Amino acid sequence: MSLKRNVSLATGLRYKGQGPYLTFILHRIGGLGMGIFVAVHILASFVGGSVGGFLNAIYTNWAFQIFIFFCALFHAINGLRITISDLFPKLIEYQREAIWVEWAVFLPIFGIAVFVIVRSALGG
Amino acid sequence: MQVTLKIFRYNPETDKSFHYETYTLEAEETDRILDLLEKVKGYNDGTLSFRRSCAHGVCGSDAMRINGRNMLACKALVRDVGDKITVEPLLGLKVVKDLIVDMEPFFDNYKKILPYFINDSPLPADGKERLQSPEERARFDETTKCILCAACTTSCPSFWASDQYYGPAALVTAHRFIFDSRDEAAAERLHIIAETDGLARCHTAYNCTLACPREIHITKAIGELKLATITGKI
Repeated sequence: MSLKRNVSLATGLRYKGQGPYLTFILHRIGGLGMGIFVAVHILASFVGGSVGGFLNAIYTNWAFQIFIFFCALFHAINGLRITISDLFPKLIEYQREAIWVEWAVFLPIFGIAVFVIVRSALGG
Repeated sequence: MQVTLKIFRYNPETDKSFHYETYTLEAEETDRILDLLEKVKGYNDGTLSFRRSCAHGVCGSDAMRINGRNMLACKALVRDVGDKITVEPLLGLKVVKDLIVDMEPFFDNYKKILPYFINDSPLPADGKERLQSPEERARFDETTKCILCAACTTSCPSFWASDQYYGPAALVTAHRFIFDSRDEAAAERLHIIAETDGLARCHTAYNCTLACPREIHITKAIGELKLATITGKI
């Protein structure tokens, strides 16, 4: 007898992997978020009527827009970092610096987008 | 100083599930976690089970999760992990007892990449050595340092999801032989690691590199393998 090898999501998330592991997790959340967005969008067009209207209201909501912009932007920038690492493996030695650059690019763009979305949501 | 040591416990003969037991011990800042485990086994509970052998970071027997991160118990010092210490078995492998995991799936994956020198050509004229330049040796120097402790493989989310994934340790060994100028099975190994359960499952989470007690740049080695499978150049 032995304990099963299964690693639960909660256990996996608690692993202390530092910065790169955080980007790995956020990359997955980003992909999942975009998948949900596309699914809801297709479903809303497909079913129409009051249900479609309700689904439309979800993804046009400003909070959801901020979430989906986070997902798309982070997924894109992080994906770019990973692609560069895959094409130029020597650069992987500078992974830590690359992640700082990634945040330095991500945060201002995301900040501006949040500002614009919130301002338009408040009717500005 | 006084440390609190919380240890994952599981006895397959009496327990249906695991539990934690906490011990309060006197320790020096320079004590290793292995020393604390030995102290618990020697003075508190002789049934505590864990693997250890050389106790000097060379044999790779005592890899475990210490405060949520894979380390060798014989290399982790109390001053590096603090006075509240949680020790758990490696993730992604079946727990046999307490901190001992079943390493069979790990070694099964390791064997898949042909982890041995292959050269069927006749020996050189002098009948002695197959010579190699210092530059050729340096090409795979880092990946020769692997001690097969499994700290890397069991820190990898892809391995947690599927133990069919060869894992970082196997790929590091593949790197060691593929980039060895004397070896003649590079093409065969590249074909093996290009399979679904090979390189494609590496998503650059980087946990392996941070967990490696030998400080091998595993993600970089895997990156070099990815490039070699794409370009065919070694």
